[in-house]
Amino acid sequence: MIRAGCGVATSFEKELPPGTVLRGKWNGNRYVLERLLGVGSNGKVYLASRGKISCALKLGSEAAELQGEANVLLSLDRREKRRSPFLLDVDDAAVNGRDVPFYVMQYVAGVPVKSYLQQRGTHWFGVIGYRLLERLAEIHEAGWVFGDIKNDNILVADYGRVALVDYGGMTAVGRSVRQFTEIYDRGYWSAGSRTADPAYDWFAVAVLWLYALDGKRLLHLTRTLLPQNRNPGELMELVRTNPHLKPMEDWMSRALTGRFQDSREATLRWRESFGAAARRRPEPGRGMPGWMAGLFAASLALCAAAAAAAWLRYG
Amino acid sequence: MNQILLITDGCSNVGESPVVAAAQAYAEGIVVNVAGVVDGGDMGEHGAAEIAEIARAGGGMSRIVSSVQLSRTVQMMTRQTVVGTIRQAVNQELRQLFGVESVGELPPPKRAEVVRMMEDLGETAKLKVALLIDASASMKPKLHAVEEAIRDLTLSLQARVGESAAAVFHFPGEDGREACVMDCPWTDSTERIGALFRRIRIGGTTPTGPALMHVIDYFRATYGKIDIEPEQPLPQDGRDDTGGVRSGYVV
Repeated sequence: MIRAGCGVATSFEKELPPGTVLRGKWNGNRYVLERLLGVGSNGKVYLASRGKISCALKLGSEAAELQGEANVLLSLDRREKRRSPFLLDVDDAAVNGRDVPFYVMQYVAGVPVKSYLQQRGTHWFGVIGYRLLERLAEIHEAGWVFGDIKNDNILVADYGRVALVDYGGMTAVGRSVRQFTEIYDRGYWSAGSRTADPAYDWFAVAVLWLYALDGKRLLHLTRTLLPQNRNPGELMELVRTNPHLKPMEDWMSRALTGRFQDSREATLRWRESFGAAARRRPEPGRGMPGWMAGLFAASLALCAAAAAAAWLRYG
Repeated sequence: MNQILLITDGCSNVGESPVVAAAQAYAEGIVVNVAGVVDGGDMGEHGAAEIAEIARAGGGMSRIVSSVQLSRTVQMMTRQTVVGTIRQAVNQELRQLFGVESVGELPPPKRAEVVRMMEDLGETAKLKVALLIDASASMKPKLHAVEEAIRDLTLSLQARVGESAAAVFHFPGEDGREACVMDCPWTDSTERIGALFRRIRIGGTTPTGPALMHVIDYFRATYGKIDIEPEQPLPQDGRDDTGGVRSGYVV
């Protein structure tokens, strides 16, 4: 479900200043807010600390909605007992004289996929894609679909480690997807229903790569195509004409049309396609790996700058 | 759960007050939501006040949006209304059974259970949404967006576990004799929604109130049954083509 801003404006929708202390009414934990991390459709997420532990605290206005999200985290925690839990606390706190519901999650550092690729280079996308698909396979095997896959919800930390954030779209397989974002939505591209199944997530992952590696052309397409002409073929046209995605053509086409047996197969095929593409490099005509070329360009720029400085000084 | 979604861009100007009609709908258990569509800000102060008032009387919500935002707004209002209807019913039960005002007053572990039940209800309860489209002259350039929003909504309704159906009406009727015309009876299929409005003649007065009353009548007439119309269209006023092509597709 796409959520536009809604609900009545209330006093606690204003940003709370750093240092604000929240004390849980039921469980008695004490949290100090440090800064605002993000604003969702139904609440605000703050970086907070409980003693020495950093955590993410989501403060909202509607107890039932927040509890729904907390329920999803809890059921994942119950299922995946080997890792540290996502959900740390659910409680209410008095803010400006009224009780406000909140829940507390593990804090995940990282930047959205696209920014990560811009900072560290597109050659990271293979590893990130692999880790993302592995994570999704776990979720799918537990009977859930993530639903709202999009750039902002996939955070990448050092060496391509992936964390999913915002579980507001998590949906049990067979039900209608609770929250989605238009351009990542299978229904929007006339490529299938909005009933949650693993293929719904595969589709969104394919669009994520188009967004991360060819965002301008993707957004242009969504603006110019008539609704009745939206289809996976149009997306595949972008794939075929993008140098990064061309080697992944087979995988992308399967993802956009739901042709994997399960998410494990999707993960394996991703690794194969990406591995094959990586082994093909360096491409003829390009003598050095991309990252080295980058360094070379940087040093050239430095030289040019130095030359310009010298010229200015002595010219 | 019954909903009417009115899509309009201005003021009603004939017949029964739409605010009274919306209040009647709500009294009969139908929530009325209103989407005001403006491109370039041509909804006057009076129009904006009217749609807010219709939604308040109809127990629903109103939004003023541009046509590019229409699809997601329609989605959001429908979903929020389902959630709101269930929340209201559950809160009432909680008040009677436990004397608490709302879900939020329960301790978090209990809350978790109640919310799980509410989400189940939201997904599985029967849902009927009647779309009522203003087809006065100024709406003409926006009808493509309206059609797309309806198609998009049907797609989401289809995905629900519970029985879901949409019906589509527009107003005014041709030559002003009827307040409102049905374009599509209860359906759960997106195919029936395509090219809905190609045939309608745009223009005339804006009888929003009488049109709302007409849709309430339709709810009443189909009450208790959610018979989805068969894929094959029934012949209707002699204008239907043969071969399973809906008249709406034929120009």
